[in-house]
Amino acid sequence: MLKRPAWERQNWLLLPAALIFICAFAAPLLYFLVISFWSVRARIMRPDLTLKNYIATWTDYYDAMASTLLIALVIGLLTTILAFGFAYALRFKCGRFEAPLLFLALITLFGGYLVKIYAWKSILGREGILNQFLLWAGIIDEPLDALLYSVNGVIITLTYFLLPFAVLPIYGNMRAIAPAGIEAARDLGAGQWAVLRDIVIPQCEKGIFIAFTFAFLITAGDYVTPRFVGGGAAMMGHFIELQFSLGFNWPMGSAMAFTVMAISLALVVLLRGLFRRRILR
Amino acid sequence: MTRALAILEEMGWRAFALLLAIFMGAPLVLVVLFSFNKSALTSLPLTGFTLDWYRKLFSLGAFWPALWNSLIVAALVAVLSVAVGTMAALLLARVAPRRAEALIAVVSVPMMLPALVIGVAMMSCFVRLIDLPLGLPTVILGHLVIAQPFVILIVFSRLVTFDWAVVDSARDLGASPLRAFLTVTLPIIRPTIIGAGLIALSISLDDFVITFFTIGAGNTLPTLVWGMVRTSLDPTINAIATLLILLSVGSTFLALRVSRYHG
Repeated sequence: MLKRPAWERQNWLLLPAALIFICAFAAPLLYFLVISFWSVRARIMRPDLTLKNYIATWTDYYDAMASTLLIALVIGLLTTILAFGFAYALRFKCGRFEAPLLFLALITLFGGYLVKIYAWKSILGREGILNQFLLWAGIIDEPLDALLYSVNGVIITLTYFLLPFAVLPIYGNMRAIAPAGIEAARDLGAGQWAVLRDIVIPQCEKGIFIAFTFAFLITAGDYVTPRFVGGGAAMMGHFIELQFSLGFNWPMGSAMAFTVMAISLALVVLLRGLFRRRILR
Repeated sequence: MTRALAILEEMGWRAFALLLAIFMGAPLVLVVLFSFNKSALTSLPLTGFTLDWYRKLFSLGAFWPALWNSLIVAALVAVLSVAVGTMAALLLARVAPRRAEALIAVVSVPMMLPALVIGVAMMSCFVRLIDLPLGLPTVILGHLVIAQPFVILIVFSRLVTFDWAVVDSARDLGASPLRAFLTVTLPIIRPTIIGAGLIALSISLDDFVITFFTIGAGNTLPTLVWGMVRTSLDPTINAIATLLILLSVGSTFLALRVSRYHG
């Protein structure tokens, strides 16, 4: 891009967006971090400088933390792989169906977070449509109870919710790959896997990373899905929310939230490093 | 033989894409179908057409204020985030690409964070630190935080391929920066801006978690749904869910149409 004349670089244009970002997001988040070091006595929050909330997060919630991270990992991988396959099929294998299928995926992006969870609640239930279908098809003899109010319910529902969001960045990267390059590689004898590994995946690395990070972090902090369709699937989001709705222990909730976010981010960065070393060499 | 295999492989990919598309669309279609279904059970087969659940919903006292709140908040979020986001994108399109990318990454952080963290952080800061009363203004502020990165990203990616020569011509002919923007830049990027505004609208209509923590008293449609799902499993929920789908999917649909055919 050519350097624009100076009169055009008017920094004040960024001011309103920056104000919203700072006043309604960055500053509250910073304050929220500060109170994680405070203490609570007689239900009143008092300024302090203690690590006991973080220690309590470790000692009281290590099992919920472990299962949350495991579920987030499963959902992150599942969502990213499905989204990658979908974007790949759309871009290179679907010809004139590319546009309508993409349209269908994008239209569901903001189709109501609660509505989607509620929809799965009625689909996965004992009398739900999925059980009806499986019984009708003769795949099962008894309705499955393990679909709803279990980890399965959380995985199905959240993968469903996150999928269109994950398709978007990966598909965006794939659009920049010319089919001619892939055909040339195939003509020179490259197999399906070699094409994916050497051409497609390297060029989509950023999109894959965004999709996985998004799916992982959103799962790690979700409390609505586990509560509606998760039953006993006790996830960190659920316990964090309780500190605000029932416990009135905001410092504790804050310490839990920052612990989950920090560990999730560390894991995501670690996985990205592994992915780069192993797959991209 | 290899030709047959290649065709088979392509069919396989297409079947996979189609299955995923059905997976993404079917649950929403089912909710809409059941909202018109006579039986109070959400199971097949459908037992006949009725509008009773809608009648029940419209006679619900809490419904109308919730709808009204949702619409006010969404409309203001759309207008404000478009104004703010377009301004930011205009500047970002003119700074060095690497700096622009870094700034966009920073402003996009709220998109990647769980809404729960944003919601409780805002709530605790507003309530304890600055003693700001919770209500629709704080909800709007919360929605702006998550909607503005989408607007900035959409408008910015349009401006990356923008031909600035036309603006330069207007400037050389004596137009002020504002006039050049209003008469040259704006008409060209208008479809993109409308599309971005509609996306912001559906983000706002759809949000539950941030609204829940920042609204104090009162309801929007999603918080009303939350209350209803927790207390009953009555098909009235299907009716209100259908309405939400109609509003948010409708505006996403329009956004895609607008930006596809002109932008």
